[in-house]
Amino acid sequence: MSRIPLVGIEQQPEPIGEFMARRGNLNVFRVLANAPNVFVGWAQLVDELFDSPTFSLRMREVVILRVAHLQGARYELGQHIGIARGAGLTEQQITAIVDTDDLDTAGFSRTERVALDLVTELCGTHHLTDDSFAAARAAFGDEALTELLMLISCYYGLAFVVNAVDLDVDTAARFQP
Amino acid sequence: MTRIAYREPEDMTEQARELTFARGNLNVYRTLANAEKVFTGWMLAGQAALTSPVLPLRLRELVVLRTAYLMDCPYELGQHRDVARTAGVSSDEINAITSESDWRTDHFNSTELAVLQLTTELLTTRSVSDAVFDQAHRDLGSEATIEVLMVINRYSGLALMLNALDVDLDESARLPIPARKDRTDGLTS
Repeated sequence: MSRIPLVGIEQQPEPIGEFMARRGNLNVFRVLANAPNVFVGWAQLVDELFDSPTFSLRMREVVILRVAHLQGARYELGQHIGIARGAGLTEQQITAIVDTDDLDTAGFSRTERVALDLVTELCGTHHLTDDSFAAARAAFGDEALTELLMLISCYYGLAFVVNAVDLDVDTAARFQP
Repeated sequence: MTRIAYREPEDMTEQARELTFARGNLNVYRTLANAEKVFTGWMLAGQAALTSPVLPLRLRELVVLRTAYLMDCPYELGQHRDVARTAGVSSDEINAITSESDWRTDHFNSTELAVLQLTTELLTTRSVSDAVFDQAHRDLGSEATIEVLMVINRYSGLALMLNALDVDLDESARLPIPARKDRTDGLTS
């Protein structure tokens, strides 16, 4: 049960209401809407991350699920397991990311594996070794690697918010990526 | 040594360049501008956080420093030791907050302690007990509690990026504290 009241969509100022109409009437937006001064800027970042053509929906969901799992973010997992399935991840792949860590035999592409390893090391140690950084840079190049870090950063930080608030997973509403 | 090249201002969009210059043209921005498709949104999110009058500046800097310390982020610590001083945090207080447990001693008022307790528990265990959350929420109210959590959100995520890219601390340039909107019903401590 959310520790902070959820704000109704009808009470939102225009930019927040418009964002929620497009992205979903989600508990996470309704709780963040308690702080309208910072919501709108944050929403712009979310829009840019999901409107960018740099990564496929599938690649983004691989990264988001791994971050959500490592952060113990029940809310993020509740939203994104379904999206990941829709983006083409198999049940075996989803289980490997969010449960068994059995990443070697789940049929990920080489680039997906590099991304998964980067997320695992960075979320676990807060740093990257020179070798890990070099592998990620070789796979992605500077622009995409920095954008990948932005995506990790967004879901890593948001996990602390939804965990602290103990946010309930939405019963039906789903994020529109 | 920063692991990727800095993006030069002339290679940024006009909006990205303006936002970068307004915030001191710091190494962090010149590095993250490499992600040109999402950098503007990230900067606008930061601007909103920096200009919102809801949290006392001092309280915000306490949360930033505690987050930077627990995330082991030398860049954030280097920048915000100085920003915090400008926001009225003493050197002794900065040393206390960037240590394992000295912050629990008598430097901080009860609201600050509740927020530091929440920050510490959240970053070390990834969740917060009812008692710790309730104390902070009672002191701050819902809006400011969400803003505290959004500061933790932003600076924990940024710490990962700065550490991954091993961004060098700027020699002397520091984040300018932007003007904040007037607010008469804000928290006083």
